[in-house]
Amino acid sequence: MSLGAVDLLEALLFVSDAPAKPEQLARAAGLTLGQTEQALEVLSQRLERQGGIQLVRIADGYQLCTKPQFAERVADYLKPQRQRLSRSMMEVLAIVAYKQPITAAEIEQIRGVQSDYGIHGLLERRLIQEVGRKPTPGRPVLYGTTQQFLHHFGLQDLSQLPKLPDGSSADQGERRLPSLFDPE
Amino acid sequence: MAPRRELASVDDRIHALGIVSPPPIQVESPRFTGSLATLFLCVRERRVDLRDVPLAPICEAYLRYLIEAPHTDFDEAATALLALSYLVERKAWILLPSEQPEPELEEQAELIEPSTHLYREAIEALRSFEEQRQRLFFRPADAGPDPYEIPFALGSASPADLARALQRVLARAHPEPMEPPARPRRSLAEQMRLMLALLDDRWRRLSELLRGPFRKADAVFAFLALLELLRLGQAAVRVENGEAVFSRAGVNPKG
Repeated sequence: MSLGAVDLLEALLFVSDAPAKPEQLARAAGLTLGQTEQALEVLSQRLERQGGIQLVRIADGYQLCTKPQFAERVADYLKPQRQRLSRSMMEVLAIVAYKQPITAAEIEQIRGVQSDYGIHGLLERRLIQEVGRKPTPGRPVLYGTTQQFLHHFGLQDLSQLPKLPDGSSADQGERRLPSLFDPE
Repeated sequence: MAPRRELASVDDRIHALGIVSPPPIQVESPRFTGSLATLFLCVRERRVDLRDVPLAPICEAYLRYLIEAPHTDFDEAATALLALSYLVERKAWILLPSEQPEPELEEQAELIEPSTHLYREAIEALRSFEEQRQRLFFRPADAGPDPYEIPFALGSASPADLARALQRVLARAHPEPMEPPARPRRSLAEQMRLMLALLDDRWRRLSELLRGPFRKADAVFAFLALLELLRLGQAAVRVENGEAVFSRAGVNPKG
């Protein structure tokens, strides 16, 4: 793997403000998908060894971010305004994540309480979105999670969601309780 | 449909019975508390005896929703109507004498695993992921200045300090009065000229720059003008005692 390709991918990732899919990177760099993935691996190891930036797999793509050991200083510098999700919003979000696509009435049935506030809050935060209509009387809106949801929780995809106690999960893939960005 | 004044007269009765609208219509009766959708599903499952749940107040709440909701969602309204008609039919079968037995439903209600306790561990895991994720910082999406514009320095002040300054002044604003729709509006350029005239070598809070009674729109407009002056380098900002203060640029070199 030429170092030029690794440097080029680093440059492309540097200017990306969203997770870049390997296919996008391969097209932009004029590489094959295999070469791209190999170069990304080399880049990841290089960044891991030195510097304040790391390469992570998140929301179906790759993105550069700061290393966690600098979190306090970076946060002090950026002064980010973060609003922790409330308990009720987190409940609604978890239900949507595991049962999507799901209607508001079905969410209420699971929670046993009105969930409009939580749903609207999550829609505003772009953590859930309308994904269609259920073919039942009234054609209620169906909700599902977004790429922003994956990014917010640092997940690569829905298969990284932990199993529920009853064994059900967000999809049929193999499940494990993930540690964020554990080494590939 | 009942006219609005008739519904208004039953308002007290509705609240006395614990029925709150608009939707999702909340039902509170001696034997059942929950949303209309939940009542519907519980009745279909035969977990609630409809004889203990008065339906008239729910219908009244539904009518109030139709009349008073500013933007009625027809799908939502149709779903509520379907649920109500089903409840009325079921109650009629229970209360009215009939030689025929109540027909069985063709299809059972599609119910999901109840309660949120199944999600407790998942929620805790998501919380943990959220905390770990917040230790990573990415290039922000759709943020930052235009690439052809040189970024301007805000000194010690951050956008959050500016946002707090706006919040403070908005809290003091008077409510918007009713106005004719064709009220002439001041241009941003004119507002900037006025704001620039107010700025001098003193460091003052935004609330001190807005004198006399003002409305929220005035506060927002003044704030926008101030932001534009900051961007153009004609105003300066710094933080004093955790609050953003402003002055004319160039007069105070330590902005």
